[in-house]
Amino acid sequence: MLTAGTALLLTGPAALTGCSSSTLAPSRPDPLESPARRAEADAALAQAVGQTQAQANPALAASARALAADRMAHATALRAELRRARPGPPSTSTVPPPAGPAPAAPAPSAARTALAQAARAAQDEAAGLVVTLPGYRAALLASIAACCATHAALLS
Amino acid sequence: MTRRPLRPPPYRARPQVPVGALQAALGAEHAAVWAYGLVGAFVPDALSRRLDEAMTAHQARRDATQRILIDAGAAPVPPEPGYLTPEPVTDAASALRLAITAETDAAAAWRSVVERSPADADLRGTGLEALTDAAVRATRWRATAGATPLTVPFPGAP
Repeated sequence: MLTAGTALLLTGPAALTGCSSSTLAPSRPDPLESPARRAEADAALAQAVGQTQAQANPALAASARALAADRMAHATALRAELRRARPGPPSTSTVPPPAGPAPAAPAPSAARTALAQAARAAQDEAAGLVVTLPGYRAALLASIAACCATHAALLS
Repeated sequence: MTRRPLRPPPYRARPQVPVGALQAALGAEHAAVWAYGLVGAFVPDALSRRLDEAMTAHQARRDATQRILIDAGAAPVPPEPGYLTPEPVTDAASALRLAITAETDAAAAWRSVVERSPADADLRGTGLEALTDAAVRATRWRATAGATPLTVPFPGAP
C-alpha cells in the first residue's frame, strides 16, 4: 500500500450495511440467484475450454483456467450471501451444473470469443445490480464486475 | 411568495454522500498521480502511451472527486508532499510494481465508495467505473511485468 508521508491513507473496514433482504417477499427469487447461476455456468464453460485447449493453445487454456477459478470464487461468495440472507434449503441446487459434454474442441478463436463474451455479459449483469442493492452486496457485485472486466480485457 | 436565491442543482439531492470514503478515494487518486510521475522515469519509452493514459485517467478522476466533495460541502484533501513507496523504485520492474500498487489502492478506495453510497445514487456508478478501470489497469500492468496471477477474484476487496 502506498502510504502518505504524514498521514496514512487508511479507511476503516467498510461497514457492513447490507445485512437484510427483508424488503423482499420470500417467494421472490433473491436478485443474487441469477449472478450465482451465471458464475457457476461460466466456471464450467471456462473449465471445459481449459481442458479442450490444453494442447492446441496452452496460453488460452491458462486464461480459461484463471477465469474458471475466479468465477468459481464468485459463485462461492454469492452462494454464501444467499444462504446468509435466507437460511434454510436453497430454492435451487447449490451444486454447479455439470459442464455437459465437452464441445469437440472448438477452434481456439471461437473458444476465446465465447469466454470473452461470457466475461462481458457477467460484467454487465453484475454492474446492473450494483446500483440498487444494499451496500455490502453492491460492493461484492462491484468487485465481481471489475474482475470480469479484467478477464474480458485479457481475452479480447 | 418567499424569495429564494438561485442555487445549483444538488448532486442528486446529495443523499448521504460518503465524505470519508470519497476523501480516501481522492487521497488514492493523488497518490496514483504522484506514483505514475515516478513510474514514468523508469519504464521504457514503449510504455509511455499507456502511462500517459493512466496518468490522465487518474487526474480526471481526482478532479471529478474534488468537485463531488465541494458540491457536498466538504473541503477536498490536498495531495501529500511526498509518499512512501512499499519498496525503493530503482528500475522498470519495481516501477511497474508501484503502478500495480497504486491501482490496487485506488480499487480498494473506490470499492469502499460503492459500499458506502446509498442505493440509486450516481456515486455507485462512479465508484464502479473507477474500481473497474483500476482493476483492468492493474491486470494489464501485471501482464506487462510478467506477474502472476494476472487477475484477482475480488478487486478492491479488503
